[in-house]
Amino acid sequence: MKPRDEVIRITASMTVACAAGAAILGAVYVATDRYQRAAQLADERGAIVELLGLGPGAEVTEVRQSLDPGVAGQPATRAVIYEARPLGDHGAPRRFAFSLDGVPVPVAGAAGARAQRAPEPLGHLFVARQGGREAGFVVEGMAQGYKNPIRFLVALTPAFEIAGVRVVEHQEDPGLGAEVATRGFEDQFVGRTADDVARLDVTRDPMPEDWHAALLQLERTPPPAWRAAHAALLERERGRPIYAVTGATISSRALTGGVRATIDHFRRRWALIQPQLEGGS
Amino acid sequence: MARILVPTRRGIALAAILALAAAGLSGVLAARGAVPSAGRMSASPPRGAPRPPRILGAWVERSGGESRVVVRLSTPIERVEPANFRFTEAAAPDLPIVVREVRGARGAAANASARLILTVAQPLDPSARYRLDILEPALAGEVRPSAWALFLAVILSSALINNFVFTRYLGLCIFFGVSKKRETALGMGATFAFVMVTTGMLSWLLYEFVMKPLHLRFLQVLVFIGVVAFLVQLLDTVLKKTHGALHEKFGIYLVLITTNCIILAVPLLNAAADAGPLESLALAMGSGAGFALALFLMSCARERVELARVPPALQGLPIAFALAGLFALAFMGFSGLNLFR
Amino acid sequence: MSAALLPPTPPPARRLILNGLFAENPVFRLALSLCPAVAVTTTVLNGLILGVAVLMVQVLSSVTVALARGLIHPRVRIPVYTIIIAVWVSAIDMTLAAFVPALYAQVGLYVKLIVAFAIIISRLEMFASRYPLVPSFWDGFGMGLGFLAALVVIGALRELLGNGSIFGVRLVAGKPLLFFALPAGGFFSIAFLMAFFNWIERRVGRGRGRAAAGGAHG
Repeated sequence: MKPRDEVIRITASMTVACAAGAAILGAVYVATDRYQRAAQLADERGAIVELLGLGPGAEVTEVRQSLDPGVAGQPATRAVIYEARPLGDHGAPRRFAFSLDGVPVPVAGAAGARAQRAPEPLGHLFVARQGGREAGFVVEGMAQGYKNPIRFLVALTPAFEIAGVRVVEHQEDPGLGAEVATRGFEDQFVGRTADDVARLDVTRDPMPEDWHAALLQLERTPPPAWRAAHAALLERERGRPIYAVTGATISSRALTGGVRATIDHFRRRWALIQPQLEGGS
Repeated sequence: MARILVPTRRGIALAAILALAAAGLSGVLAARGAVPSAGRMSASPPRGAPRPPRILGAWVERSGGESRVVVRLSTPIERVEPANFRFTEAAAPDLPIVVREVRGARGAAANASARLILTVAQPLDPSARYRLDILEPALAGEVRPSAWALFLAVILSSALINNFVFTRYLGLCIFFGVSKKRETALGMGATFAFVMVTTGMLSWLLYEFVMKPLHLRFLQVLVFIGVVAFLVQLLDTVLKKTHGALHEKFGIYLVLITTNCIILAVPLLNAAADAGPLESLALAMGSGAGFALALFLMSCARERVELARVPPALQGLPIAFALAGLFALAFMGFSGLNLFR
Repeated sequence: MSAALLPPTPPPARRLILNGLFAENPVFRLALSLCPAVAVTTTVLNGLILGVAVLMVQVLSSVTVALARGLIHPRVRIPVYTIIIAVWVSAIDMTLAAFVPALYAQVGLYVKLIVAFAIIISRLEMFASRYPLVPSFWDGFGMGLGFLAALVVIGALRELLGNGSIFGVRLVAGKPLLFFALPAGGFFSIAFLMAFFNWIERRVGRGRGRAAAGGAHG
C-alpha cells in the first residue's frame, strides 16, 4: 500500500502546486492587463499630440481597418470594414464597409453567415481635428527590419506632407539598426511631400555635417520656426535621398520603404474614408 | 525508502508512441501547409464537363531591377488582357497593383500558354505575400515563395544568420560546459537537435490548439517548461529501459538540456510570432543544427587552446569567452544573407 | 560555500550578501546563467531591468520554498521548484510589461527565460530548502544582488565603450569602440571582466596566504 499512497500524495501535491500557480498567474494577468491597456492608450495619445503639434481641445478619431474574408469560396463577398471611434472611447464604433473595388456596401457585422471567419486587421490610423478643421493624420505601419518587424507611426499634415516619423517597436541591434529609431534619422523625413516620398531612395553617402546639426536642433525647436531658420538647407536636402545609418543599410532601407508604402496606401484609402467620416454624425 | 511504481515496458512504449505520434501529426500538418492554395475557390463543375482551369502556383521573380509574376495554370485561359487580372498585396487587398503586360512564357502566345508572365507597375518583394485574382474564369491564388523555399530560409536563418549561440547569445551555460572536447560536443549537439524538434512541435501543438482558443496565453512559460521537463524525463526513462548503452552515453546530456535557454526560447519565439507549423518546425530544426554546429566549432578550437600557453588569469572560461567572441565576429559575416535575392 | 560545508546555523545577513556579490558571484565566479549577461547588457538600463527582475524572482522563490519546505516531497522537489520559479517569472514578466512597457520591450524574451536559469534552482536546492525564512531571504537577496551588480558592470563597460554614454547620458562624443555594443564585444567584455576577477582573486589569495599561516578560510 505504501508505494501507492506515495504516488497519490505526490500526484496530489503536484496538481495542487500547478493549480495554485495557474490561479495566481490568472489573477496577475487580469490585474496587469487592464493597466497595460491604459498605459498603451496614454502613450498613443501622447505620441499623436507631439507628432502633429496639437493643442488642447483637439479631437482624435481612431480608425481601425480590417478585412472581412466573406463567404468561403466567394472572393467577391470580401469587404474592407472600417471602425471609427474617438480615441480612448470604449463605446460602439461607427462602422462602414467597402467592397474591394471601393463600392460602399452594407456592414454585415451581425449576419451569422458572413461572420464565419474572424476579420484580419489591415491598418490602424488616427485622424486629428482641431478648431473644426483637419489637423493631420497619424498612420501606423510595419516594415520587415534586419531580424524582426519594425513598427512605426507616420504623421502627415492635412496637405500630406510628412510631419514626423516615430519608430514605436523594433528589435534592431543597438548602435547599428537601432539608430533608425533615433530622431536624428527619423527627422530626415520631415517636410517631404507625399510625391517626394513616392520616389524616395536611400543612399549610403554620409550625411553632410550642417544637415546633421540642423536635424539635431529640430528636437528642441518648434517645426515652423525651424523651417524658417533652415529654409535654404531644406531646399537643398529635400530633393536628396535619405542618408542611411552607417552599417545599417538594411534597416534604413526597410524603414524608408515602409514609410513610402504606408503613405501610398493611406492616400488611396483616404479618398474613401474621408466622406464617410465627415458625412456621418 | 518508499518505492515509486516502476513503469512497465508497455506504459513506456505507449508514452513514447504518443510523443512520436504528436511529432508525426505536426509533420503532416506541416506538409499540408506546404501545398499552396490554388483555385479551390472556383465552383465545382457538373460531372462530365471539362475541368475548369486552376492556378497551380504563382511566384515573384526579380532580375535586375525588374520584377515579374510567374503564374502556372492547369490549362491556358482565353482572356489574357491585363484588365482580367487583379494583383494586390496580401496585406492590402483593397489596393490593386496595376498589371501592365501579360505574356506567355518562352515567347508563346499568352492565350495558348499555361505559364503566364505578368509585368507590374511597381517593384515587388519576392519574399512578401501577394494575391492574384483572375476575373474570368473566377480564380484566385496566393503569390508567395514556395513553402520549401520559406522552410529553407527559416532553417538557414536560425542556423547561420541568427545563430542562437553567436548572434542571440542563448544556451551559453551548456555551451561553455560541454564544448571542451569534440566527442562530448557532438553527443550534446545530436541529443539537443532531437529534443529540440520534438519539444518544439509539441509546444506548438499545445499553443495552437489548447492555449490560443482558451485564451491561456499567459501560461506560456509554465506550459513550455513543463513540456520540456516532461519530454526530457520521458526520453531519459525510455532510453534507460530500452537502450542501456545509449543511455550511458547520452543520459547526462539529456539532464543538462532542461536548463538550456534555447530549448525554452524557441517555443516562446514561435508563440510570439504566431508561427505556423512549417515555420515552427523549421525554427526548431535550424536552431538544433545551429547549436550543434556552434558546439562542434567551439570544441575544435578549445581543444587547440588547451595546448597553448594561456596567462593564468585567462585560463578556463575567460579564454573560452574570447574564442566565442571571435566566432561571433565570424558569424556576423552571414548577416544580410537572403535566399530570395 | 559548497553544499558540503554549509554550517548548521545559517550565516548572518551581511555575510550572505557579500558572498553573493563577490565570493560566489553567479556570473563571474560560478559562471551560471550567462545568456543574459551577453544579450542584455548592451546598455546599463537594460542590464539593470533584467537584474532587478532576477533579484525579485530569486528572492520570491527562495522565500516561497523556505516557507513551503515542509510540504514539498523530496522526490518531486525539482519539478515543484520549477513550477514555483515559472509562476514568479510569469508574474514579474506581466508586471514589467504593464508598468514599464518601453523598457520591457528591450528585454522581454530574456525575462521569460529566467525560468531556465540554473542559478535560481541551484540556490533553492542548496539553501532555501534547508533554512528558515529570514536567512533564505538574505541568501536570495545576496545572489540576486550579485547578479544585478554583474549585469550593471558589464552594461556600463559596453555602453561606455560602445556608445559613449551611461544610462543614456552622453559622456563621450561619438562611439569610441562600437565593437563592444555588438554580440562579439559582449563575449569579449565578459572574458576580460572574468579574467580581472580571477586576477584579483589570485592576488588576494596570495596576500592572505602570506599573512595568515593557518586559520580563517577565504
